[in-house]
Amino acid sequence: MYCVRCGVKLQEGEARCPLCDTPVWNPEADGNGENREKNYPDTMPRHYRETRRPAAIALTILCALAVAVVLIICFRLNRRLGWGGYVVGGIGLFYVIAVLPCWFLHPRAEVFLPVGHAAAALYVLYICLSVGGRWFLPFAFPVIAASCILSEAMLCLLKYVHRGRAFIFGGFLILLGGYTMLVEFFEHLAFGTGMFRWSLFSLAGFGAAGLFLLVLGMISPFRQSMKKRFFF
Amino acid sequence: MQKQWYRLDTAALIFPAVAKRDWCNAFRLSVTLNEPVDPEVLQKAVEKLAKRFPSFFVTLRKGFFWYYLEESRHPVTVREDYAYPLTFMRRRELQKNCLRVLYYKNRIALEFFHALTDGRGGSVLLCNLTACYLSLRYGLRLPVSGELVDLAEAPRAEELEDSFLKYTAEAALGGSETRAYRLRGTREEDGFRHLTTGIVDTGALVGLARSYGVSVTALLGGVMARSVIALQNQEVPRRRQRPVRITIPVDLRRLYGSRTLRNFALVLNTGVDPRFGDYSTEQLCKTIWHQLCACATPQYMAGMIAANVLPQRVAALRLAPVGVKNLVMKLVYLQRGEGGGCLNISNLGSMSLPEEMRTYVRRMEFIIGPQRSYPNNCSVVSYGGKTYINMIRSIREKELERRFFSELVAMGIPVEIETNRRDRALHIGGETQCTV
Repeated sequence: MYCVRCGVKLQEGEARCPLCDTPVWNPEADGNGENREKNYPDTMPRHYRETRRPAAIALTILCALAVAVVLIICFRLNRRLGWGGYVVGGIGLFYVIAVLPCWFLHPRAEVFLPVGHAAAALYVLYICLSVGGRWFLPFAFPVIAASCILSEAMLCLLKYVHRGRAFIFGGFLILLGGYTMLVEFFEHLAFGTGMFRWSLFSLAGFGAAGLFLLVLGMISPFRQSMKKRFFF
Repeated sequence: MQKQWYRLDTAALIFPAVAKRDWCNAFRLSVTLNEPVDPEVLQKAVEKLAKRFPSFFVTLRKGFFWYYLEESRHPVTVREDYAYPLTFMRRRELQKNCLRVLYYKNRIALEFFHALTDGRGGSVLLCNLTACYLSLRYGLRLPVSGELVDLAEAPRAEELEDSFLKYTAEAALGGSETRAYRLRGTREEDGFRHLTTGIVDTGALVGLARSYGVSVTALLGGVMARSVIALQNQEVPRRRQRPVRITIPVDLRRLYGSRTLRNFALVLNTGVDPRFGDYSTEQLCKTIWHQLCACATPQYMAGMIAANVLPQRVAALRLAPVGVKNLVMKLVYLQRGEGGGCLNISNLGSMSLPEEMRTYVRRMEFIIGPQRSYPNNCSVVSYGGKTYINMIRSIREKELERRFFSELVAMGIPVEIETNRRDRALHIGGETQCTV
């Protein structure tokens, strides 16, 4: 019994060619190939995927213990949270960034990156409120939000666009230079510091590196020559 | 009593480091007998082999600086096969045994974690297991010759040596390759591996290879390269295409006369760049053949061995904790180990068994699992005048197999196809899991 399309010989009892799915006229076949001799049993193994759950459990217990110890010490010594709040907040931030993804089978970086930024923003908000500062809205929040947007965009481009790495990294470096200017701008708004004291230097550095990568991406012979010189 | 332990050989160092949460590098060797397998006798045969082949009955352990293999406290127990070969070996399983013994109907299969050995080393264990099984089951008296060893004697030092260290050159082969075309597809979420076996007449295959003036491996490599080029033509315009390279493992035992049962093979990436123009199948076969001939020499391979051995001698790397080494090795492996090829064609060559065994053994097979970053792989073995070409994939699309086997048929080689296709009811512990 042969497949008329592929020309290969098929197993007795096959109803379709396993390569091209062309139906085979076979009076012995029952329509779905169950009559053919099986060369593997029907038992599937349980689908295992190594999880990081044991590590997540251990780290959760460790974090909970650390928080409990800090709280006990703070309330015993000072009868208020005090510095313990910063430690607990720090542990919480560590938990969200490092431990939380371990609970999931397929943790997606593009989801956990904004979550991490949100946790960082909350932690900074707590610090701002506890020291009675007024810099969260004019400074910390926009800086963290811009960082989130920039890193998320970079991550998604790297993950889903498989070409033009030089353009992606080049664009990212230029934007990073722009980001430092933005940070200084918000610093100026919140704290009244002078503008362009340090960000121009970083913009120049990042911008130059970014432009270099953009040129590298555009000129293929240049790219090849750099590859040749710097391969490792 | 102190448990025996072994350092991983040079090639094996990479395998625990690059293992993923749902993938590790493994391969399978199997024999199909003329009569159904008796699992109890098979279990006895496995137990008899443990003392003679201690390097196979081990667990994977993690030291501070390196992974190592340690004699296992858990006996290897035979069990029935699953719906597909090379089911995932979990770390927990590797911490008990790195070897599986499976049976189904007339078939005995061994599945190895690649850190133990390579295909040639594994075939020695399989031949001896089959011989031991046949002698227990049918009272055969088999001569100690060829692959068969005396089970009463102690393991020889040369079988346990890391031959890479013995045959390395003073200078390492340098250079890097551009990334090859990457085959892609829709992954099977439950880890199912599709296996398509093409059975061809060895004489016809050798005859065709001779007519082109190439080896069987080069012939199959050429046909595979043609199929991959056709796939790339469908997806990518020519000026943006990538090189099509077939990764071919070279058994170094033949080159250096080693008798080790550990890993002693290295891979060569052979192929063409389709941007340079169209190639006929004959041209592809000859290109691959010439590339193989140029590289598979003791001197060239010694340079390749040195490239693997020399980094191990760097004090800073030796002193790095195993976690740091894992990160470095993972990066190097993805960049250089798999990036240079589209898929493997691993040809174990012709398997020969003693005359007394041949009447009991109908068929032998060799299957390598999909790689970490590419979903298709191909392995070949010849036995009893037939060549078994096993193509495995972790994706649903079967276009590569169709093109490859159709091409062989078009070249005048009759191909018989067998698959483990999943268009049947499959069960997990009695419950129907999936029907397509």
